[in-house]
Amino acid sequence: MVDTQKNLLIAERLLEGRAAGFRHPEPFRLDADVEAADLNAAVRMLFNTEWGYLAAITGLDRDRQDGEFEVLYHFCSADAVVTLRLRTGRETQRIPSVTGVIPAAEFFERELSEYFGVRVEGIPGEIRATGDRSHAGKSRQFEG
Amino acid sequence: MPGGAETFHIPIGATREASPGFELKLDGEVVVSARLLPGFDQRRVEIAAEKRGWQEIIDLLADLFGLCPHAHALAYILGVERLAGLEVPPRARAIRMLVAELERVHSHILWFGALAYQAGVDNLFLECWQERQGVLGLLESLSGKRLAYSPNRIGGVNFDLTPGLSADIRRTIDHLDQRARRYLNFLNRDPLLRKRTHGVGVTTRSQAEKLGLVGPTARGSGVLRDIRVDAPYSGYEAFSPRMVLDHAGDLHARLSVRLKEMVQSIELVRRILAGMPDGALVVEDFDGGIPPGETISRVEAPCGELFYFIKSGGGDRPARIKIRTPTQSNLASIPALAPGHHLADVPLLLAGVDPYFSFKDSAAVISGPDGPHPAWTWDDLRSFGIAHYGG
Repeated sequence: MVDTQKNLLIAERLLEGRAAGFRHPEPFRLDADVEAADLNAAVRMLFNTEWGYLAAITGLDRDRQDGEFEVLYHFCSADAVVTLRLRTGRETQRIPSVTGVIPAAEFFERELSEYFGVRVEGIPGEIRATGDRSHAGKSRQFEG
Repeated sequence: MPGGAETFHIPIGATREASPGFELKLDGEVVVSARLLPGFDQRRVEIAAEKRGWQEIIDLLADLFGLCPHAHALAYILGVERLAGLEVPPRARAIRMLVAELERVHSHILWFGALAYQAGVDNLFLECWQERQGVLGLLESLSGKRLAYSPNRIGGVNFDLTPGLSADIRRTIDHLDQRARRYLNFLNRDPLLRKRTHGVGVTTRSQAEKLGLVGPTARGSGVLRDIRVDAPYSGYEAFSPRMVLDHAGDLHARLSVRLKEMVQSIELVRRILAGMPDGALVVEDFDGGIPPGETISRVEAPCGELFYFIKSGGGDRPARIKIRTPTQSNLASIPALAPGHHLADVPLLLAGVDPYFSFKDSAAVISGPDGPHPAWTWDDLRSFGIAHYGG
């Protein structure tokens, strides 16, 4: 089995210069803060070097009142999980798509866009195949 | 209505967790491109979970994810227990592992039957679903439910394993061991199944890794990826399974991997029963509080890696739960795999990744060079495929 700490160290080295800061929230995890401008470079370093695969993208409200939002890109390699954390504003800022590096991210990014209203620039094709965007970013309205 | 009329698209079909639709573009009867259309149900589950207490969520997940309720409950509860710093007793961990392997057995039987149904081999479909009842009966004896079962509670399990039930489990899995080997033999010899699975949907190892495929779908392309081995949990540290791999990467390989895994799960069940530790079923000094923090929890569900992100704000319910099912990862392969295939292969291509959605009712939107055709249901696609292959 791959040594988890060694694996995380490799990821940290790959992300040096592309992440603003690193944390180890749990022994098997590495969190890396990235800016929108560095996102694709960071994703390329983890993916093109075959460090790991994109397991999921999580949308996370940091402050619902202020619309402060965070997008988490989770990469896994055996036991190790690296999360690229990108801060943005829900519906107010645009973030770049990573589908140019990982085409399979399209589904996760559409989910992010349609469920949360985050504007992801560069997703291929129209946002929703039905062509109806009236519901985009309004899922929280049904929370009651 | 200001601004004139608007067109609304009403989705047709069942709306369940992880239930995307599809859009296929055709040239004649050959698929040119395929797209996934995400549904809202996954997010609905997440929001529903965020409105419930920590313990209540276990029942919600078990109710909603009908084919692998234990895998979802386990992924969730392992994360919550990590946040709470709980050390679950060995007997509870072993019972969780036992249920997980029984779940894998009944899920793989169901899936093999469902795929046989898509191929038009109806007698095999009926036989598989009948055999599955035996495992569901065991789960009912343990937890009181045939479906939506979950023995879990935060800090342990609610139900113990009696000597009588252990004997029933041994008897049932001995029978299923023979059936699994028979199915494997059938898969390799039946001309119709061979015709419809050999060389169909070929995914190379490199493609599978890049697409982020998980579970038997990935292992059918030779990818070494199994959370029970990569990041062992709940007792798998001592009961690590040997990964079943096939390097052919086609539908036949995915079928073969699952049936061999069924045999392997049966063997694991025997080992777990033989090594079942004594002792408590639940942590005794847990006060119910979950401290603030974030965690990531992954388990190997029957279809593949199940991923949970859980955030606690320190309150009586979670601040955020993100669920990524194996279906979401594996269906992402369809846009890459489907082009170049005949429309008749699409039902098996989709069923081949063991997706979790309502087979019968989900809509597929198909458009040709002249524009969209009326939406086809899954049943329309299945009938088309069977007729094309002379079934």
